[in-house]
Amino acid sequence: MSKKRIAITGIGVFCGAGKNIAEFTDALINSKSGIAQLDMLDTSPFPTSIGAQVKSYDPLDHFSPKDARRLSRSDQFGLIAAEEAISGSGFSKHYSPFETGVSMGAGAAGMFQSEAWLKALLAEKKITPALLRGILPDRTTTEIATRFNLCGYQNSITTACSSSATAIGWGADLIASGSLKAVLAGGSDTLSLLTFAGFNSLKVVDSRPCSPFSLGRQGISLGEGAACMVLEDYDEAVKRGARIHGTVLGYALAGEAFHMTAPEPTGSTAARVMRSAATSAGITLEQVGWVNAHGTGTPLNDIVESNAMKTVFGDRVKHVPLVSTKAMTGHCLGAAGAIEALATVISLSNGFIPQTLNFRGCDPECDLDYCHEGRRISSCDIAISNSFAFGGNITSLVLGK
Amino acid sequence: MKYDFDDIVITGYSCITAAGVGTSPILSLLDEGRSALVDIPDDITGGISLKWGRAAFFKATDYMPPLKARKMDRSSQLAFAVTGLALKEAGIDTKALDPEKIGIAMGCGFGGVGNSSEFLTGYFNAGVEGLAPMLFPNTVSNAAASNASIEHGLKGPNITMVQRFCSAESALLMACRFLQQGQADIMLAGGIDELNPLIIRGFMELGQHRQYGSCFSEGCGVIVLETAKSASDRNARVLATVKSISSIGLMPDSSADVCCRELLGDCSGISSISLSGTTVETKNILNRLPDCSRIDIAAATGRSLAMGATAMACFASCLQPSERGLHLASSPEGPFFAIRIDGGCSDAR
Repeated sequence: MSKKRIAITGIGVFCGAGKNIAEFTDALINSKSGIAQLDMLDTSPFPTSIGAQVKSYDPLDHFSPKDARRLSRSDQFGLIAAEEAISGSGFSKHYSPFETGVSMGAGAAGMFQSEAWLKALLAEKKITPALLRGILPDRTTTEIATRFNLCGYQNSITTACSSSATAIGWGADLIASGSLKAVLAGGSDTLSLLTFAGFNSLKVVDSRPCSPFSLGRQGISLGEGAACMVLEDYDEAVKRGARIHGTVLGYALAGEAFHMTAPEPTGSTAARVMRSAATSAGITLEQVGWVNAHGTGTPLNDIVESNAMKTVFGDRVKHVPLVSTKAMTGHCLGAAGAIEALATVISLSNGFIPQTLNFRGCDPECDLDYCHEGRRISSCDIAISNSFAFGGNITSLVLGK
Repeated sequence: MKYDFDDIVITGYSCITAAGVGTSPILSLLDEGRSALVDIPDDITGGISLKWGRAAFFKATDYMPPLKARKMDRSSQLAFAVTGLALKEAGIDTKALDPEKIGIAMGCGFGGVGNSSEFLTGYFNAGVEGLAPMLFPNTVSNAAASNASIEHGLKGPNITMVQRFCSAESALLMACRFLQQGQADIMLAGGIDELNPLIIRGFMELGQHRQYGSCFSEGCGVIVLETAKSASDRNARVLATVKSISSIGLMPDSSADVCCRELLGDCSGISSISLSGTTVETKNILNRLPDCSRIDIAAATGRSLAMGATAMACFASCLQPSERGLHLASSPEGPFFAIRIDGGCSDAR
């Protein structure tokens, strides 16, 4: 990727930890978690019943009755976050629609609605087929492009839990290459029976709120939501007087080619990707102040990510906090990378490093600085946000003030 | 938007479709005016006469041990097989090259849907006791690309995307960009789609069997892209060259003329075009290229969301050395792609 600076001129979020930027920022500053009892799924057959659900959500607060019926929950969340980002940016009047595009990451997409259709089909009951309309993960992208008249490009990255981090990196590259002037980038994903039952069947869901990098952690807490950013060329953004929330300095991605679900134990690919991201950003590793971890809270992931940090930062590793915001947001799967990139940008611009919540004790295999004790004041300018996924897909974003 | 490339070549390709293995069966069907589409069984359609392009002959165990095949979903099996065939066609021994410089970019259609429905059906029928954990990892869209990368040891950029009928073209764009930036020397770019009775049932309930879901198909196509230097270094045959990729996200009716001009650019010298997705119905585009010969593989194999890579493979195999070709792909609600592909020469030197 070119070393051209990419400005973030608009941000939006809608997730269990906050339904807009103000609420989400408050959650980050005051270490508030969105993880609580779920009520959108019947969790009674499972050993766990918690997650970071967007509670008290009424689509009619945001959409017409027709759109509320037509759009999947994931499409709706994506549109809400996109609207906040776009209205805050004010870029629309500065560029032709054909100079703007959409790059979103997706996961289960409209599965929450589609599984209701399947259940009815198996029970030989009649149910509206409209529930299937959002099953493909590209639907959210097209809805955003159409509603906001972003005509230049549309693409949906679908690499599970690294999808939306890559969507932001790729969105930045579309600007850096000179192909587009502004890109709405981010991700949206929602809870569904498929993912809740799936992760429970793999026995990687913690019955208590997840506790990344802690002793006795049992796994993830699932979450849902959407986060979006408006990306523009930094100089052009300055010229038009845009408010700049932060910058996307670079990104890198790779496949581990190891196993569909288990990370390669040494973390060598994760380390390579972090280094490559720093190279693409044109920075030195000494400039990295902290890392927003993939940090799921599974026993294996957290050790591997800690190992990767040691490989990348060497002797300096204990001075580079590795924090996980998933204990606040839950693991939002296809939207996780975007939500965590946003958390990183907000934290950098407000001069702090967020806390990793739910500390249960020191794990000797996770022996780095994880900011377990509380939010920390920080003046650093640059952080990395990591995203790992099923299939061994790894993406690292380099983000700046 | 448009990307120009000056050193990205195609050194191999392969596909598995309803027509068979490789591009030859598809081109033969087109020559003969025949199709590989067959009637969908009545128990799926309820007696309504519909056709599909299922690669029913495909047996994963022809390409991998049974135990490995059992761990993969149908999309992953197809992707693994075709990726291996394409690498072989390109003469690439992944063990002899730097695996971190070989990546994969895959456009996906309904990949993962089969495993998702099977996993959920187990739950709906028998509760938690009916859950089969082994199915869950391959419910994700990227299972095909990731399983292919794991089995072939591809450690470079790894990406999957879904963008309706332009999924494979979207993958090709990212693959070319990774090559241009030096993130990889070789990228396998492709498209994968799977078809099962439940997908047909969904099409029928939504009325898509009379529209874009008509004559739907499955299969996988993979193109081996590499930098000219990489191809030259290993004395590879250059089958074609990717010259540029243009794309537009949406084409509002009021701006259709401007969009088509922007998308197609200077078409002088273009003698052949390849059609993918819903381009055959996109008259705004086709009317601008009235004199070009056309290859429309949908006539032989049906249409799928990620058919673009198979279409481009067939197209590349037909282009004469230095012949200028244009691959066109469209989706009903966008995006639209125009990819300049020129015929190759006998070797890279």
